[in-house]
Amino acid sequence: MFRSIKQWCIGALSTVFVVGAFDSFAQVDGGALFKAKCATCHSPHKDGTGPKLFKVREKWASEGAKEGSIYLWVANWNAAAAADPYAKKVSGLKSTAMNTFPDLAGKTEEIDAIFNWVDEQPDPAAAVATGDAGAGAGAVGEVEEDGLSWVWILMGVVFAVIIMAVGGVRRQLRNATREHEGHAVNDELSFGQEFKAWAWKYKRYVGLGGLVIVMSLIVSLFLSLYSIGVLEDYQPSQPIEFPHDIHAGKNGIDCKYCHNSADNGKTAGIPTVNVCMNCHKQINGNTPEQQEKIAKIYAAAGYDPATQKYSGKTKEIIWNKVHVLPDHVYFNHQQHVVAGQVDCKQCHGDMTKMNETAKVQPVSELNKIEGNVPLTKATLTMGWCIECHAEKEISSGSLDSKGSNYYNEIHNRLLKDRKLYNKFLEDKKITVKELGGWECAKCHY
Amino acid sequence: MKVKFKAFAQFSVVALLAAACTSDPDSAGLEYMPDMYRSPAVEPYVDYGEVRGQINDEFKMRRSAMVPPRYAIPYWGTDSATVHTLLPYHRMPGRLFAETHGLYQYDLSSNEDADYEYKMAAADVNPLKLTSQEVADKIFAEGKALYQVNCNHCHGEKGDGEGPMVKSGAYTGAAVLSGLTIAEGQMFYSIYYGKGMMGAHASLLNKKEIWTLVHYVRKFQDQKYGTFDANGAQAWGTMAVAVDTTAKK
Repeated sequence: MFRSIKQWCIGALSTVFVVGAFDSFAQVDGGALFKAKCATCHSPHKDGTGPKLFKVREKWASEGAKEGSIYLWVANWNAAAAADPYAKKVSGLKSTAMNTFPDLAGKTEEIDAIFNWVDEQPDPAAAVATGDAGAGAGAVGEVEEDGLSWVWILMGVVFAVIIMAVGGVRRQLRNATREHEGHAVNDELSFGQEFKAWAWKYKRYVGLGGLVIVMSLIVSLFLSLYSIGVLEDYQPSQPIEFPHDIHAGKNGIDCKYCHNSADNGKTAGIPTVNVCMNCHKQINGNTPEQQEKIAKIYAAAGYDPATQKYSGKTKEIIWNKVHVLPDHVYFNHQQHVVAGQVDCKQCHGDMTKMNETAKVQPVSELNKIEGNVPLTKATLTMGWCIECHAEKEISSGSLDSKGSNYYNEIHNRLLKDRKLYNKFLEDKKITVKELGGWECAKCHY
Repeated sequence: MKVKFKAFAQFSVVALLAAACTSDPDSAGLEYMPDMYRSPAVEPYVDYGEVRGQINDEFKMRRSAMVPPRYAIPYWGTDSATVHTLLPYHRMPGRLFAETHGLYQYDLSSNEDADYEYKMAAADVNPLKLTSQEVADKIFAEGKALYQVNCNHCHGEKGDGEGPMVKSGAYTGAAVLSGLTIAEGQMFYSIYYGKGMMGAHASLLNKKEIWTLVHYVRKFQDQKYGTFDANGAQAWGTMAVAVDTTAKK
């Protein structure tokens, strides 16, 4: 059902586009003009720096503007405001003054082409409203999957109750038969004694079963000991469920635009709200879920999307740190990103496809990514770090090719010690480890 | 009896499985020596509400990464050429920038004309000089790297306003950089404090980086920009477009 409506919508939209395209081929290309001159501040259906332009000619006419004053306005709003009281009123709507376009003065045909193009644009908000319910259904499925382990526990409890009840009934029945046959009722045998007798009778099976249980307990004990201090799969809840795939994947925003200090600081940095607002000042979300999330950004920035003004009353968004290292480890992003030229995905996985909140990716997931150095130890453990230091090559050719002063210096010193250099090159590669990446004091001091 | 044993075995297997599968993504797991994870030494983005078992309500749910005090100047080393390009920006944001761009942390210009400082910025010249082909190439390479990270997603690879965000339909109206008709000082001002829909990028880029980007953007407008002829003279003229400072209110 949804699919058919969606298809119909797409069909309708493309028809509109095709018709629009034919129209604009016939005259001046209004779309191109709009993009070149107006789009920075105006959009067809959304108020931005300037007001929305959908059916603006009709709006001006119906609200009592002088005829033709809108064309004058587009070329030079100052002149229009002086000549027409309605235009004067409009000039007070926005705090940012409009640019003047002397090249459009008197070009009624071109201005009309722009407005025609704008009026043909379908409202994206209306298109989204139909395809909305599908996303909601997906979310419900996820919730069910999440509660699965609780179903198991509940079933276990129910089973236990049934077993107890059946045991009780059986016991009463047996007593009843004994009574019926004239034997003495054997009531003093408790459950424990009964179990003892039963266990003795089947001692071979019970012994075998006991051995299996003890062994599995020991194994699970050791496994749980191994998992102490291992952060794999850690995915703390966040104040806003941030979808990395939309930002870094679909919209192609570089990791380092938001995680701005990755190439000049110890931490990669969590973006401040003003960085969010660089785009979200305009983008307020298509679906209700998106709008709800983005409203949290507006609340933090003290921004009112209705009046498009900042109030200055800000509050913090408190994100939970995901990749936590003990404080006896020194880790520096700049060192890895700039000097080491390590790609973000080596440690953080492919965030362009990550729809959930950020998590510590297990090493098995990291190994699936093309270009990553394959590792075996758990993510964020010391074994994982030094394994990579032993594997990761500084460069396949000369050390100079990395263009980093750090390695150039090491290279220059190495050239004076050919013996060591040749030893390093025995396996045809120079690794971080060979240049001191396994020195304790590199990370612990 | 055998049935009972079977049921018991089944139950224990189910219970074990349930115990194994229940993992709370919100929990970081068992830590040994938790004080090593939340030590008293201050690191950014760590919650210091609890340190070594001591609860401190004042620091609970408060970030430890702080904005530097007002008027603090970052230390940029002792290379006078670098320090010179990184001294605080002398132009103030316009009267309305607090409301339109949220710039409450700055002293605003008191001039009645909201665009006064922007107009004045037209006179500013880029302190990074393209003195030779080598210097120019280095600046353009740096500019390209910065552009990829900070500008590309909206303004597009070629500065045509067709970045991936615009193509995906998420954002409309990124400025066409190759067709800009503003002076380089105004480009700097716009990147630093924002303009129209674009927010301020002063928190993301330092002054040297912004001036590097200005060089890179001018290359979109003039292919010859930053190239030198056989005699080593500049092959580009002054800005091809006339700077129109009267365009604004």
